[in-house]
Amino acid sequence: MKWDQLELDPRIRAAVRRAELRRVGDVLCVSALDLQRSTGLSHSDVQHLLATAAGACRRHPPVPAVLCGGQRELRLTVGCPVLDGLLRGGLPVGGVTELSGESGAGKTQLALQLCLCVQYPTQHGGLDAGAVYICTEDPFPVRRLQQLIREQSCLRSDVPPSLISSLQFSDHVYIEHTADLDSLQVCLSRRVPLLLARGLVRLVVVDSVAALFRSEFQADDWLERNKRLLTFSSILHHLSQEFTTTVLCINQVTDVFSRSDSSGPLSSNMSPALGLAWSNQVMVRLMMRRLQRTVVRGDQSSALRRLEVVFAPHLARDGRDAAVWREGVGGVCSSDTET
Amino acid sequence: MYDSWRHVVKKRKKKKKSRPSALFTSDLLHLHPPQLSQEAGLSQQEALEVLQAVRSGGGGASVSLTALELLQKEAETRSIVTFSSRLDAALSGGVPVGKTTEICGTPGTGKTQLCLQLAVDVQVPQCFGGVGGQVVFIDTEGSFLRQRVTDVGGAAVRHCSLLVEDEEQRVAMTTFTVEDILSNIFLVHCFDHVELLAELHLLPDFLSDHPRVRLLVIDSVAFPFRRFDDLSQRTRLLYGLAQQLSAIATRHTVAVVITNQMTTRVRGSQSQLVPALGDSWGHASNIRLLLQWSGSQRLATVVKSPSHADATVQYQISSDGFRDTDQSGAG
Repeated sequence: MKWDQLELDPRIRAAVRRAELRRVGDVLCVSALDLQRSTGLSHSDVQHLLATAAGACRRHPPVPAVLCGGQRELRLTVGCPVLDGLLRGGLPVGGVTELSGESGAGKTQLALQLCLCVQYPTQHGGLDAGAVYICTEDPFPVRRLQQLIREQSCLRSDVPPSLISSLQFSDHVYIEHTADLDSLQVCLSRRVPLLLARGLVRLVVVDSVAALFRSEFQADDWLERNKRLLTFSSILHHLSQEFTTTVLCINQVTDVFSRSDSSGPLSSNMSPALGLAWSNQVMVRLMMRRLQRTVVRGDQSSALRRLEVVFAPHLARDGRDAAVWREGVGGVCSSDTET
Repeated sequence: MYDSWRHVVKKRKKKKKSRPSALFTSDLLHLHPPQLSQEAGLSQQEALEVLQAVRSGGGGASVSLTALELLQKEAETRSIVTFSSRLDAALSGGVPVGKTTEICGTPGTGKTQLCLQLAVDVQVPQCFGGVGGQVVFIDTEGSFLRQRVTDVGGAAVRHCSLLVEDEEQRVAMTTFTVEDILSNIFLVHCFDHVELLAELHLLPDFLSDHPRVRLLVIDSVAFPFRRFDDLSQRTRLLYGLAQQLSAIATRHTVAVVITNQMTTRVRGSQSQLVPALGDSWGHASNIRLLLQWSGSQRLATVVKSPSHADATVQYQISSDGFRDTDQSGAG
């Protein structure tokens, strides 16, 4: 925001320039008395200046909650009615969703599935746009994605086949590989906003957040690590709010040795990695566990998984059994047999 | 009162003014601009500004109340019930109007849930023992989801409709629906500290235009202030923010409810969880409420309050909202 865009008396504008307050927001970070001193303006001029600056800096005046909503109330389906039931329609747009779990729990599977779900029109639970998939750990499982695309008609029997065949799924999944924190930062602050601004993308997946933060810092660097973590999470948060986009972060888990009271009842002895500094920035926390049983559906069998809601502003703490099939991740229904 | 000159009027004008016999700002209150400009040798415009400054700056502060009057005033303003009778008891009646209450807790303990519950509860009509007010909800985390407000609001409406006994309550229920609840919540999104400060600067005007607002929620204060390199500037801004909030609370008889995150403090080899934003922020609120897990129980502790001793109560978050653990005592 530049000063030239505001309607101000030239006298006030000149005083502001003399006081070297470059951005409009700077004025609001100084007390009225200091402002009076540094600009040499009178009390009423300063009040006028503050009111004008505040009016320019705010996004919108308070609106009744009944009127806003629209885009914010959209949900991104996960492609399975059972799991959508758990999530009350799917993942929220705007806000960071975390999915954590041990390796082999099916986190990446669910993320890949979401990259396809997001491409459907809104009446089928999608957001009518593509996805960015940022890999920090393993190379992108492109073969599995191809398989999922082929099996879409099997997974989404609710969508007309003609619509599925008309979507060019693989053209709308943008893949980024970042091997260190600096390149991740560049990716998130330069390339991803460009895709979001053009409306090409409404899902950002980071797989995983833990890898870089766990590998690049020693145990005694935690202060520096927290600082970088806050920078990273506030970029993600900003992107999700500014472009009303779903942001999904895949996280690893750590074993819990001493049960601290901060995290609430855990269904296993694991908690998501990266600690409190990170969890403060997460809006929806989901956890996926691999259980010791297998389920059979037709000619396929899969290890049983459980998707759980740890916390979310709109969801109860609950969970559903799920399995990974050829066509994707789905909730376990009564026709599946457990062995 | 002479001291307040320094705050409101520039030095040059002050000097001129001290030449005639006006020593206190109250001496000027009965003057007209032309009189003052003649006596003090100021221009008409300057004299007008001086008088405006005196009237706006000194007028409000000079009203003093006796302790008895204050007690009566406090007894008249009802508190906002939380729908958890145990927490209400611990807070002696609920979240007080005219004061600042801070809710601290780790993620997932129910800070946002309590805020949403209060945003609904403040609208309970007066004939049901509520406040019958409106609410300004400043959302800095993006966690205000209408879906959840609809749940909590629907449960509150159902609860009140079961209590209807007379005609007045029946009439009141016609304007207490989920739709009404949503239209009485004024929502603001602020994504960084500048936007939050801008909003708070303009809020007094909004509150004057909407005199029915009885609750201001900021969920959360910590979020926009967590990422700050210049800690001394942060402390200064937070101090100003706290002052603004307490001014809003008293001047507009509004309950101010803010949420705060928790952070780990390492002392030697020991680490403990403390509310974020530093020690001095602890003075910002009149009441501090700590939400936490203890095993599989949710506990709310009143850790700071001028009027009652520390108390810990158990609560749960059901599909209907913030409640006592044993379903029985809602409201």
